[in-house]
Amino acid sequence: MAKKFEVMVGNKAVAYAAKLARVKFVSAYPITPQTTIVQYLSDMCATGEMDAEYVTMEGELSCQASAITASTTVRSFTATSGPGLLYMHHPLHMTSWARLPLVMAVVHRSTKGMQPDQMDTMSQRDTGWLMLECQNSQELLDTGIMSFKIAEDPRVMLPTIFMGDGYILSYTSEPVEIPDQELVDEFLGPYRRPYPMFPEEAAESLKLMGAMWSNQHGPQHIWKMQQEAAMNAKIVIKEVNTEFQKKFGRSYGNGLVEEYKCENVDAVLVGMGTIASTAKTAIDRLQKEGKKVGLVAIKSFKPFPDEEFQRIAGYTKAMGVIDRNVSTGTKGGITFTEIRHALYDLDERPVTLNFHAGMRGQEVTVDGLKRMAEKTLKAARGEKVAPIVEWVGGN
Amino acid sequence: MMEIRFHGRGGQGAVTGTRILATALYYEGKFTQGIPMYGTERRGAPVVSFLRVGEERINERDLVHEPDMVIVLDPLLGKSVPVTEGLKKGGMVLINHPRGGRDTGLGGDFNVSSVDATNIALEEIGRPITNTAILGAFAKVTGSVSLESLERAINEQWKGRIAEMNINAVRKAYEQTNAPVDVSDLPPQKVETKPGELNVSSWRVYTPVLDKDKCIGCMRCYILCPEVAISMVDKKAVINYKHCKGCGVCTEECPVDAIDFVQETI
Repeated sequence: MAKKFEVMVGNKAVAYAAKLARVKFVSAYPITPQTTIVQYLSDMCATGEMDAEYVTMEGELSCQASAITASTTVRSFTATSGPGLLYMHHPLHMTSWARLPLVMAVVHRSTKGMQPDQMDTMSQRDTGWLMLECQNSQELLDTGIMSFKIAEDPRVMLPTIFMGDGYILSYTSEPVEIPDQELVDEFLGPYRRPYPMFPEEAAESLKLMGAMWSNQHGPQHIWKMQQEAAMNAKIVIKEVNTEFQKKFGRSYGNGLVEEYKCENVDAVLVGMGTIASTAKTAIDRLQKEGKKVGLVAIKSFKPFPDEEFQRIAGYTKAMGVIDRNVSTGTKGGITFTEIRHALYDLDERPVTLNFHAGMRGQEVTVDGLKRMAEKTLKAARGEKVAPIVEWVGGN
Repeated sequence: MMEIRFHGRGGQGAVTGTRILATALYYEGKFTQGIPMYGTERRGAPVVSFLRVGEERINERDLVHEPDMVIVLDPLLGKSVPVTEGLKKGGMVLINHPRGGRDTGLGGDFNVSSVDATNIALEEIGRPITNTAILGAFAKVTGSVSLESLERAINEQWKGRIAEMNINAVRKAYEQTNAPVDVSDLPPQKVETKPGELNVSSWRVYTPVLDKDKCIGCMRCYILCPEVAISMVDKKAVINYKHCKGCGVCTEECPVDAIDFVQETI
């Protein structure tokens, strides 16, 4: 069958993911730079291209609340950005508490401005949602589809956010392959209701949700089970990524991290999202100059791939971690602290450096990334480098 | 990889033009990336967007700093924006200009080709939306995209009459494009408007011209001018051309037709 391509913006790719997953309920409230996602979806619903209930809510709080209710019975979807995500904060906890496999797209927008950084999702990192980051529009579409499969796996049953940078992805046009609907149907299968709607479904949902609602356990049990599910997700994400590769011919690293040109390197840059994408060009150019530096792109932020970084630490002498976020009052960015945490148990640890870059849409250029990589290489050679945590670009 | 920067004004369709060209070049077998720059756009204000064209997936996600080509959708934009900044040596400027060539005020180690996109757009579309006309000229001077691909991309963007008008503009511009002219002996462009200066006179395509004898001093234009560019002196309207963006509200509202709307000559 001929492959179907279209030049589209990132937001349209997200809308296609929801359409191809045969989402039955869309709760929508527009916010820049997510706006066109719900516009595309409302178009698709109006023309009958998509068979879903499209409800415009009066704000993000009710957007999430209605999606919670809907996802107890049908596959549901919502999307938001920056401040909108913050407004959803309380129901986000409720979604993971009820273990609903709701999927949400987040188009990164700074919490302190219009331009992208990761502060919106990072502010929600402990809400119990899985978080998958994307580098380009194709990845947005594919990750959207994979997110439903991951979230709905009986071993996981956790809500999932798939996210990409606002503007840089959301409004940028590039060619995207639209997967065949039949293949997506085969890949995802029908929605398994976590809560019974009819009596004959009771046994099935008891299997899925029973232990959770059992009153034999103490009050902490909900958290413990949620944590176990998130850890299971590490296995499930890898499996789903492999299955996606078999079905559609595309995959993203091993699902948790993508190691780009990491054979025989002394140092690696670690990045997420579009920064990692730009860093690929920087790595290409540096390797052409004979510099031994590779790139690790974090694909899954929650669950955080600790084991992967322990493995990567085995072949690199230094890691330069780029964070498009900051945890005020803590030294270093959020992925930096997570990676250092993962490496602590090792006997031999690589040097770790941190770069704060791209906050509030500050441009991260190829040249800037080359400089960061060279600093990391210097550290790999055993030279003293300072500072450990650096702010890159105009502050 | 080829990198292109678009300069235009809000309302001329630089962003849509970038997307259409990204689609058309994709039909030519290229991988493309059309990057709009979003900020506080208003009709007439300078805007910029970028296009990357490569053979395979483009990983760069930063902006274009050293373009191979600059496309300028407005003849007077060079007065307030440094349009040739960062342009590679031996690169090309494609500008919408009635005369073009050595008359554009641009100079440096590059070639300038031109097309009178404003008039083509006014004739074919009826509005000074110059994006599609300039794409016809792009096809002519670069040869990297066929008219068929452009038309297919336009048909994907619009339907019916609007698509037809834009396709006519593309075809006409393709025929009327002026060949590239070397301008390496000319002085570099002079940016006259300083940032923050409240001179928007170069935003106009049409200018309101008041006939003082006809003016009855009704103050309608004075009240309705969105830019507060009209004041009343001795019960007659006076237009401040530094602040006038040429929106045409005064012409439309004048009860005695005292304000004419004349196309600017460049």
